[in-house]
Formats: sequence, structure tokens, C-alpha cells
Amino acid sequence: MTRQPRAFRLDAPDVKSGSVVVTEEPFDAIEAADGTVVPMGERRRAPWLGILLSALSGLLVLGLGLAVENLIRDLYAVAPWLGWVALGLSVLALTAFLAVIGREVSGIMREQKIEKLREAAADALAVKDHKAAKAVVSDLLGLYNARAGAVKGSARLMASMEEIIDADDRLAIAERELLAPLDVQAKRAIAGAAKQVSLVTAVSPRAIVDVAFVIFAAVRLLRTLARIYGGRPGLFGFLRLAKAAFNHLAVTGGVAVGDSLMQQVLGLGLAARISAKLGEGVLNGLMTARFGLAALAVCRPLPFIREDPPKIGDVAGELVSRAEAAAQ
Amino acid sequence: MSVITNLASRAGSAAQSLWEASGQLVQPSLRIGVTGLARSGKTVFTTALVHHLTRGTSLTAFRASAEGRIRRAHLAHQPDDAIPRFPYEEHMEALMLERRWPQSTDRISELRVDIEYERKSGWRAGPASVALDIVDYPGEWLLDLALLDASYAEWSKQTVEGSRRRDRTPLAGPWHDFLKTIDPAGAADEVLAGKASNAFKAYLNRLRAGDEAVATTPPGRFLMPGDLAGSPALTFAPLDLPDGQAIAPGTFAALMERRFEAYKTHVVRPFFRDHFQRIDRQIVLVDVLAAIDAGPVALAELEDALDQVLMAFRIGRNTLLSRLFSPRADRVLFAATKADHIHHTDHDRLDAILRFLVNRAARRTEAAGARVGTVALASVRATRETTIREGRETLRAVAGVPEAGERVGDEIFDGETEAAIFPGELPESAEAVFQGAVPPGSLRFPRFRPPKLPVDAAGRMGKLPHIRLDRALEFLLGDRLA
Repeated sequence: MTRQPRAFRLDAPDVKSGSVVVTEEPFDAIEAADGTVVPMGERRRAPWLGILLSALSGLLVLGLGLAVENLIRDLYAVAPWLGWVALGLSVLALTAFLAVIGREVSGIMREQKIEKLREAAADALAVKDHKAAKAVVSDLLGLYNARAGAVKGSARLMASMEEIIDADDRLAIAERELLAPLDVQAKRAIAGAAKQVSLVTAVSPRAIVDVAFVIFAAVRLLRTLARIYGGRPGLFGFLRLAKAAFNHLAVTGGVAVGDSLMQQVLGLGLAARISAKLGEGVLNGLMTARFGLAALAVCRPLPFIREDPPKIGDVAGELVSRAEAAAQ
Repeated sequence: MSVITNLASRAGSAAQSLWEASGQLVQPSLRIGVTGLARSGKTVFTTALVHHLTRGTSLTAFRASAEGRIRRAHLAHQPDDAIPRFPYEEHMEALMLERRWPQSTDRISELRVDIEYERKSGWRAGPASVALDIVDYPGEWLLDLALLDASYAEWSKQTVEGSRRRDRTPLAGPWHDFLKTIDPAGAADEVLAGKASNAFKAYLNRLRAGDEAVATTPPGRFLMPGDLAGSPALTFAPLDLPDGQAIAPGTFAALMERRFEAYKTHVVRPFFRDHFQRIDRQIVLVDVLAAIDAGPVALAELEDALDQVLMAFRIGRNTLLSRLFSPRADRVLFAATKADHIHHTDHDRLDAILRFLVNRAARRTEAAGARVGTVALASVRATRETTIREGRETLRAVAGVPEAGERVGDEIFDGETEAAIFPGELPESAEAVFQGAVPPGSLRFPRFRPPKLPVDAAGRMGKLPHIRLDRALEFLLGDRLA
């Protein structure tokens, strides 16, 4: 049934008498419905520090090269076979070094690709750009088509490639088919890490052990999440990711607190009343979970489009409920 | 002959492009073309755009603005002295003080806004400026560009055949009758030329007033003559020429042909050379709602018109060489205007219909490497959104002040009372519109008066509300302010 156009004067008697109720909706509902977009990278400054470090490390490598060369020459002087062995070793070391560098570079490039994807997706969403959305989806397919678990999803996604659909629908389909299963894994990983941290903190004898374990768990969690979403961070890639995650945490921390502050405080208060140690455990677990969520946001190749972004309750709800159970 | 003029004009335009490219080094500038068929909201769009830039409104989706990197934007002296200035202040006054929509323009106009901003990235961080040239011109002129490649005989044939389509015959009747009395091989008679031209113009006018609501038959300048009205270059008409016969010199047809060529030389080509081919980014405003309201024929005509409009563009990704010698428009945005006439839950449908209309055109453009976007926007938002509950029925509607004389159902408005209007429901898919899913009268989009702006304690006027103008801006110039 189509409804006919109607007009209601706001000063008409039936509006005034209340038999027709006209309610104003919020003025910014449209902007809210369009959705604000994604965590964006901050302003970049000219990379002088990076240049300084690169130059210094270049010098260091040159110095090392010279030292090694001298060493080999000395060894030759002592006995030729020693020289050959040293030469062989240094060639081996060089190869391994190059391989490590290669792995780092490819890891970082992969990360950058994921970041670019996320930004491109945000751009495509902002202006409903079809071509860009398509490109993002095909890049996503390229990222995940080697996965055993993604075969069905990517087949379904391929089938929708040629259809004429909205840019955001297209991305939402990609999100549902490819990322939703990964989101589940990621949430599980975060919940696991949070639980582990809270347990270890609760039973550990020394504060230093807590700190060490929290850091260790965070590092492991970040690597796991990156791997789940297709990144393969080496050392430098990992540092980049960690920085991004902390930045993101700093930006969104307030919001994350907002949605579940009561829960956190309540859980903590109850647990702390039972035992200080237990309270600390819950607190550390919550911190890990928060960090995990930030890490998830920077590892995920798309912003959350139609899927609900995980909240602290999803990954740390168990901690709080367990603490409450313990309190009773 | 034409080969030589063609070559010469190309060399000329390449030289011009090179000159401008070198100017870019001193003062970077970006030329944005604002166009659309009559009554699509070009003037209001341009006014609102300048208003938000110069007032420094924080626009959420326009990244440079949301990140606070725009320091200042102000009106500046325009680069082309021969083009009328866009009367921004006048339009602003009409909008804000008198609360009426600005007078529509039927000619080209230009305005320059200097934007001082903070660069975002990398090596060249720090302050920078870009000059934004906004060129506003009627979309009908674009249809003329198709004439550049046509001869008089071809154009005549095409136009006469087009007018013989079944749905147009009632409109074209008087002109056809007159056409029969003309002998193309007769003497070149000035009075007859005037009469023929007037009969043809009358036909064009009826076309535009008719169901189709958009004029897609060139020449566009016939309906919007500007200061050329009455000149020989605008006094011609297509003739019913016999097939396969050359036009003999000295005949009436020869006179018409000469004037057709004059139209091309004096009207179309200068526009193409001086304005059109220098545009970097283009926004095409489309009044989709009016076309849906008018029915499938109007919608089909609109689709054709948009297709032709896009054909006219020199579109594609710029390479280093093309940037120097023959720059292309690398982004084209189609915008469905007047989105404030419907509730935002229907905006997606509006957007989908627009996308369906430009789909053919967009594919071609994308193949050339340019980016095409669509958006449903309202340059000036004249309504608020409301929910109406009557008994058990709930309607999502918009509320505003309909203009005097507008009528919905049996209400006729006086231009002062506020009313909540439920405009009807847009069809779910665009294809459905063509299949007649919108029976006449099932939609009604009354014109609203511009919104009443709040005045703060210091007596300053508030800012004009808008819908998704920021997204349009981000698409058009976001990358240049990075």
C-alpha cells in the first residue's frame, strides 16, 4: 500500500488538540544516520627523527662492515683456512640479515596495505564511491583468498561483485563474508588474554611479575590479532602497530569508558572488597581487554560498517561476572 | 578548412593549458564547475558553498574543515575579467533576510575563494593556500557541445526526427505545420528566418513546459539567450531537408547553415574553450524528485540528458603530460538536490535512483579513469524532520514553511504557516519508477521557503543548515587540501 502525500498545518485544530501528534526529530539525525567515520591517522610531521636514525644506523653498518673486513684480513694473515671460514660465516650472516630485513619490510608493507584499505573504505563510504568500494573489496579478496576458512565467503562475495549495489552495501557484504568470522576469533583471543591476565595477577606473588605478564600478554595479543586479520608483523611492524594501537586507545579511551564505566567500577569495587589482589586482577584484565579492542581497530582492514564493534562487555564481561560471583 | 581551424584551436588550447599549468606553480588553483539543468539548484548550491567556506563552518565530513586545518577562506578577485561575477552577497541577502530563494541565473558566472589551510602530510607541512574558482553555468549549454561535431544537415535531420516521436507530436504540431510551408531551396529571406526561428523556439519552450520538464534538444542558448538575443547567430532553425542533396548556395537552407555555423563559432566554441575545458572538478546537480514526480518519460529524458552532459566532458585521470597540455576533469559528482524535501530514511532510495539514472554515464567515465560519485544533498536545508502520529498510523515527514500558493491535497499554503508534509513514499528501486510504480499524484514535493535562521545575542545571523554539502565538498576538493 502506498500512502498518499499529506500535509498537516502545525496550527491546525487537530494538531493542537492532540489527535494528531507531530514530534520533532533531532536536527542532526541525518548526520548521525550517515555515521561518522573511522579512526584516522594523525597529522604526520616531516620524518627528521627517522632520517637521523637511518643515517646513524647506516654509519653503524659501514663501521661493522669495516670491522668485519679487518677481522677477516687478520684471520687470513694467521691462517688462510680461518679466513675462509670467517668469510663463509659473514656471507651467511649477511644473507640472514637480508632475509630478516626482507621479512620486516614485507610485514610493514602488508600492514600499510591494511591501513590503506581501511582508509580507502572510509573514503568510499563517505562519498559512496562505487569504483573505490569495488577496488577495496577486490583487495580484501586478495588478502584473504588463501585462507581455508574464507573459501565459501569469498565465493559468495565474488558472486556479488558484478551486481549493481550501493557502495556501503558492497562493503558490508565483504565485511560480513570475510571479516565477521575473524571478528569472532579476535574477540575470543582478547577475552582469553584478559582472563589469563586477571588470573595471573590474582595469584602472582610479586608486582613485578604482574607487570611483566601484562606486557607479555599485550604483546602476544597484538601479534595474534594482527595474524588473525592477515598482518605478519616483524619487530618494526609490531612497534608501528603498537604505537597505532596506543594512539587509538588514547583517542577512543574516553568513549570506551563511557559505554561501560558503571560495569567496570561496579565489578572492580565488588572484587576489591573481597580481596585487593582479585580487584587488581580484574583491573588488569579490563586494561588488557581495552588494549585488545584498540589493537583490533587498528588491525582490522575495514572500519565497522554494519557489524557491531565489540564492546568491553563482549570481551571482558566474564571477568566482571566472575568477580561478582566471587563476591557473593 | 575545418581541419586547419580544428588544429589551430587545439594548438591554442594546448598553449593556454600550458600557460595555466605554469601559473599553478605560483598560485595553485582549482576550478570547480557547478552545473545542472534549469531549476536544479545551482545558484543555491554555489551560495551555500561559499557561505560555509567563508564563514568557517565546521563541516563534519569535509576532513580539512573537521580537522580544523582551514585557517581562513575569503572572496578574492576573480581571474577572468570578462565573466560576470557570481552575485554572492545579493543571493545571501535574499536567502537570509528576505527568506526567499535567489533569482535563478541563466548565464555563466564565476567567483574566486582563496582558502588558506594547513597542509596535513609529510614533507611540505605548514600553511598553504589554494584559489578555488567556482564557475556556475547552465547545464543546457553542455548539450550544445554535441553540436561541435555535427553538420547543419545532420543536426536538422536529428532534430526534426526527434520532434516526430509519437509523444512529442502534439507539442511539435504548430512547428511542423510551419515547417511544411518553408522551401529550403527558396530565396534567403530574413523575415522568414525570424519566423522559422520563432516557431522552433516556441516548440522548444513547449517541450520544456511539457511532461519532460527538461530541455535536451540543443541549441541550449535558444531558451536562455542572455545578451545574444536577436542576433543572427541565434536566428536559425532546423529544416526538413531532402535526403542526400547538397545545400545550394544562395538558398534559404544555405542561410540557415551559415547561421548554424556562426552559432557554433561565436557561442559554443568560445564557451568550450574559455570555460568548459578548464574545469578540474565538476558537480552536476540533478532535481531527481521533480523528475520522479513528472513520471517515467521525464525520467528517461533526464537520463538521456545526463548521459549527453557527461559525454561532453574531457574526463579521465590526469597524466603528467595531459596536466600540462590538456587537463581533464578527474572527478565528477552527481548530486540529487532538495533532499530536505523527504525524510532521511528515504535518502538512500533517492541516491539509488540517481545512481540508476547516471549508471550508463558513470561506467563510461570510470572506464576513462575519473572518479564518479553520487550524493543526495540539500544545499540549504529548509525543513526539519518530524514524526506524525495519527491514530495508529505513523508517518515520517518533514516540516517547514511551504511557499505561498503551494498546495498539498486540499491545503493551500500562504507562505507563513508551518506545516508538516508527508511527501509520499519513494519507490524501493529505480527500475520500478520506469515500470510506472509511481502513479501520478502519489508524490508531492511542495517548495519550502528558506529556513528562518536564529540570530544570536550579538545580532549575528546563524549559519545555513545543509544536508551532506560537506560530503560533496570532501569529494570535490578534499584531496587538494590534504
